[in-house]
Amino acid sequence: MRRYFGRKLLIYIITFILAVTVDWAIPRFMPGNPVEILIARAGLKAESAKLIYSYYMKAFGLNVPIWRQYLNFWIALFHGDLGVSLWLFPQPVMKIIKQAVPYDILLLLPAILLSWLAGNKFGAYAARSKWLDNTISPLAYILQATPYMWLGMLLAWLCGVRLHLLPFSGAYSNAMMPSFSWSFVWSLLQHWILPFASLFIVQFGGWAIGMRNMIIYELEADYSHYLEALGAPRKLVRSYAFHNALLPQITGLALQLGAIVGGALATEIVFSYPGIGFLILQAIQNHDYFLLQGSCLFIIIGVLLANFLIDLAYVLVDPRTRVGMQGEG
Amino acid sequence: MRRVVSILLVLALLTGVLGVTSVAAAATTEFPRSQTLYTGGKQWGPPSNWNPFMTGNYATGTIGLCYETLFLYDPLTAKFTPWLASSGKWTNSTTYRLVLRSGLTWSDGKALTVDDVKFTIELGKKTTLNFSSLWSWLTSISKVNSTTLDFKFKTALYQEWDNYLYNLPIVPQHIWGTRSLTDVATGANDKPVGSGAYLYNTYDQTKMVWEKNVNWWATKALKLSVAPKYIIDLVNTSNENSLGLVLQGQEDLNNNYLPGISTLLTGGYALHTYYPSAPYNIAANTAWLDINLQKKPMSDLAFRKALAYGINVADIVSRDYNNMVQASNPTGLLPMWNKYVDQAVVKKLGITYNPAKAKQVLAAAGYKDVNHDGYVENKDGTKITLKLIVPNGWSDWMAAAQMISKSAKAVGLRIVASYPDFNGYLDARLKGTFDLAIDNQANVSNSPWTYYHFIFYDQLKDIPTTQGGNYGRYNNKTAFALVTQLDKTKTTDLTAMKAVISKLQTIQLANLPMIPLWYNGMWAQMSTTYWTNWPSSVAGKNHYLPVTWNGYWNMTAILMLTQLKAVKQP
Amino acid sequence: MAQPRKQNEALYFMRRNAKLQIGVAFVFLFIILALVGPLLTKYQPRDYVAPGAQPPSSEFWFGTTSFGEDVFTQFVYGLRSTFLVGIVGGGLGTLIGILIGFTAGYRGGIVDEILNMLTNVVLVVPSLVVLLIVAAYLEVRGLVFESVYIALFSWPWAARAIRAQTFSLRSRDFVDLGRLSGMKPLKIIFTEIAPNMMSYLLLTFILQFGGAILTAATLDFIGLGPTEGMSLGLMMNNATTYSAIMLHMWWWFIPPGLAITAIVGSLYITNVGLDEVFNPKLRET
Repeated sequence: MRRYFGRKLLIYIITFILAVTVDWAIPRFMPGNPVEILIARAGLKAESAKLIYSYYMKAFGLNVPIWRQYLNFWIALFHGDLGVSLWLFPQPVMKIIKQAVPYDILLLLPAILLSWLAGNKFGAYAARSKWLDNTISPLAYILQATPYMWLGMLLAWLCGVRLHLLPFSGAYSNAMMPSFSWSFVWSLLQHWILPFASLFIVQFGGWAIGMRNMIIYELEADYSHYLEALGAPRKLVRSYAFHNALLPQITGLALQLGAIVGGALATEIVFSYPGIGFLILQAIQNHDYFLLQGSCLFIIIGVLLANFLIDLAYVLVDPRTRVGMQGEG
Repeated sequence: MRRVVSILLVLALLTGVLGVTSVAAAATTEFPRSQTLYTGGKQWGPPSNWNPFMTGNYATGTIGLCYETLFLYDPLTAKFTPWLASSGKWTNSTTYRLVLRSGLTWSDGKALTVDDVKFTIELGKKTTLNFSSLWSWLTSISKVNSTTLDFKFKTALYQEWDNYLYNLPIVPQHIWGTRSLTDVATGANDKPVGSGAYLYNTYDQTKMVWEKNVNWWATKALKLSVAPKYIIDLVNTSNENSLGLVLQGQEDLNNNYLPGISTLLTGGYALHTYYPSAPYNIAANTAWLDINLQKKPMSDLAFRKALAYGINVADIVSRDYNNMVQASNPTGLLPMWNKYVDQAVVKKLGITYNPAKAKQVLAAAGYKDVNHDGYVENKDGTKITLKLIVPNGWSDWMAAAQMISKSAKAVGLRIVASYPDFNGYLDARLKGTFDLAIDNQANVSNSPWTYYHFIFYDQLKDIPTTQGGNYGRYNNKTAFALVTQLDKTKTTDLTAMKAVISKLQTIQLANLPMIPLWYNGMWAQMSTTYWTNWPSSVAGKNHYLPVTWNGYWNMTAILMLTQLKAVKQP
Repeated sequence: MAQPRKQNEALYFMRRNAKLQIGVAFVFLFIILALVGPLLTKYQPRDYVAPGAQPPSSEFWFGTTSFGEDVFTQFVYGLRSTFLVGIVGGGLGTLIGILIGFTAGYRGGIVDEILNMLTNVVLVVPSLVVLLIVAAYLEVRGLVFESVYIALFSWPWAARAIRAQTFSLRSRDFVDLGRLSGMKPLKIIFTEIAPNMMSYLLLTFILQFGGAILTAATLDFIGLGPTEGMSLGLMMNNATTYSAIMLHMWWWFIPPGLAITAIVGSLYITNVGLDEVFNPKLRET
């Protein structure tokens, strides 16, 4: 057991180091120089630009040799310092990311959890009878096949532009500042519904399908037939099947939750919702290498952590995996 | 299971709401629509910086609404309006005497005096700021009396000095004097204290909020009062989002380029532009074709001439921009500088679209289509394929590049449009590795000197770091000597200026270091739902600039705010 | 020999499975539209054909864009590239997934660990960002590039599924029998395990196909798609950029998304139908 965990941990550490190195290398391989872009944006007189160029090179630590830059990066990382943004100079990257994360949590967590709950429920219904299966399942498949941004566009157009029911851009009204007032929370909610719905609807389909498949699989397993043969009530058999089917669904849920840190890029674009996905897109468009680097690192760490925890949970819960891990003799 | 999920849900909602509202609590949390002016188009990311020396980074209005300059400049009338200064003149060829207005105050109540002005400009000597190069020709500043300063110069560069007069922000010594030099140069300068018409109120990730300064000095001194109580500058997320806001009347002034806006002017959306018809906007800068003179066949003047004859700019203006821009005159000088255009020179040397002439020039210079593929080859027989680069995502330029490629094809020149990422495009221009590029770096200013400095910039080795212009590396020391001579010409001596400019135009048109294409506009779409009396070219209306971009507040956009009238809401 | 009877059995159920038939029918419908469509229109996707922003009419079935291009033309050309990306991207992704998943599942041990790590790294690296860097170097990006790129980031899903399936098959009796009887591992793979996985591989391919289409649509929508040509995602990108939603130009953004939903949805339904055909436990009869 200890050897197993030790090996797993080692692999994760290696993965982390590799991923961080790739992440660090990202800006270095872009053509051009981030300082050039800062100067281009500033529209300076030529003579002043010359002076400022060397100033900025020093300020961003770009005037030291490459290996030293790599080392500095790791040192800063362990201090929780993800660098300073170029596009939003001189705000630190960590601060910018922290401002975007609550929006993703607000948007994605309810979307994932509620769609999971509802999806599992409907998936279970579908597995109950053929008629239900033939109505719910195709619907679920089509929902799962819907591209996020298209559903977002549809909702924005129908509910926003056509029917003027709901706002479809931003996280809250432009005439308000965040505060603990009912009017602000109401504005927040109004702006939240459409992006939430577009995520919820698509994911609901996915969970429903997953649950339905799992239950059917379980219902066909030997133990189910055995129980039926013994004369157990259908309800009991189904409830066993449901609970067994839940395991992979929980795994899936955990994986999805781990991906929250990456945001829902397409949806955020359509609704201009200020989450981390949108932040990354803007960092890309504004050539802010350091923000890009920091956000990616954030995502990488989040996903790796989630994966690690899932692997742990898997081993604790399902003994079969342990056997497979040990491999051929 | 169900319970765990419900708990997680509640936690999520709480975290989300708390996280969002945990931004520093603002004093005002709701802004009444009828007293608020919503602007947009300059800010492409959340406000993060209010340091007036960090051009390109500071939040909209930092210079203009908060910090002010000594003079305002009106490009349309070419006149300076004394602002913080009450007057200024050259007392001898190397001394400039500045008289500061009395009764000026900072928003924290302290007086704005010549000490603040002297302190601000001397900051440029103590550390590297965006105007530090001024000190290579400014020797000293001496205080003559409590309202007068004398600026003594080593060499007097009159045109350039005028440029500083309306661009240099004045900052308070009692606040900036206690800061470290690093802070001065690159600090964010939160909660800025300035002398201007507006005070810093608050900001968040989507907007910058300015509040009217009721103690603004100009109210008494110049009888000026700004109309909106709040100015909220919205962060751009995308052009289509901005269009939506403008059409719905949720943004009053937008300075983005919104393709297709000209077709919506009659759509009942209460939209207004400066000119009621094409080109709708005042020209702001010239879009040039940068030509890399270090490469063959661009090094051949005849080839460049043929290229100039072969580009159909009219097509770009009408189809790409729907006539929201104008074709440039052969000199590339903006319409507001028409008085400097030497029409005789233009008539003799100016080149406009003429495909027949293009083919003629190519043939006469020895470029023939030997392999009959429809394109001419080099004199030595090698193929000519030129790459024209524009930044990826700049859709109007991308379309323009395609059109240039098409019209060039018709005269036998193979030009391929290419869309590298912005930094790749920038890098190619700076390092001189490109063939052709579209560029519009030189903007409207107080003097054509800035244009010619851009065209003939002679520090070719320094181009990668200084971005001074002349990316094609046209090497002509005589020309740059003339540019410096222009800089040293007094701004009041129009005759002398015209003489030098005429010589520069002759060199430019005869040698074609760059080809001017069209004038980009000061994109401005205004909504008349909540505010009226916007600037307009129509007689009787104010002719101020309706632009919130950097450097435009002090080119009279601040005065626009004094003319606005709130629309009575039903 | 169980093979011929199995095949007959499969075909028998295929003909009776409603889901399979409907799914396949829809996909074929779009494939035909993609093949024949461009012949129905005399324009190219980027041609200026009429004043912009026209709603659908008898002349322009899907109306025109803001620039006066024919939406129907863009639609049918877009379908072509969509299918291309699906097949090449999905196919390549499946292939890589098979290679890696199978090797990991069959060998286990240290090989499995290393491949697992590789899978994790690929899953963890944000594909969008890497694409950005690459895009900064490649001024011109084609369909093939996009397909290969998608395959390079989507194979982990296939690999995981195939690995799991390989695990379960490996420990089945007939494999042990094969090993006991002294068959070489390669022979075991090809004669005992592979045939039982054929159906599974087909299912995996269909999922990869659908996934590739969705991913391509997202990449095109963000603007990281091919620099030339037309695709459904690019149409949605253009529609958003030129404010089709605000300007009520529903004919510009509804058809592309609808097509993608229909195609991918049909693929998923086909998948289920095939699953039922191959897996007797799932059949409704």
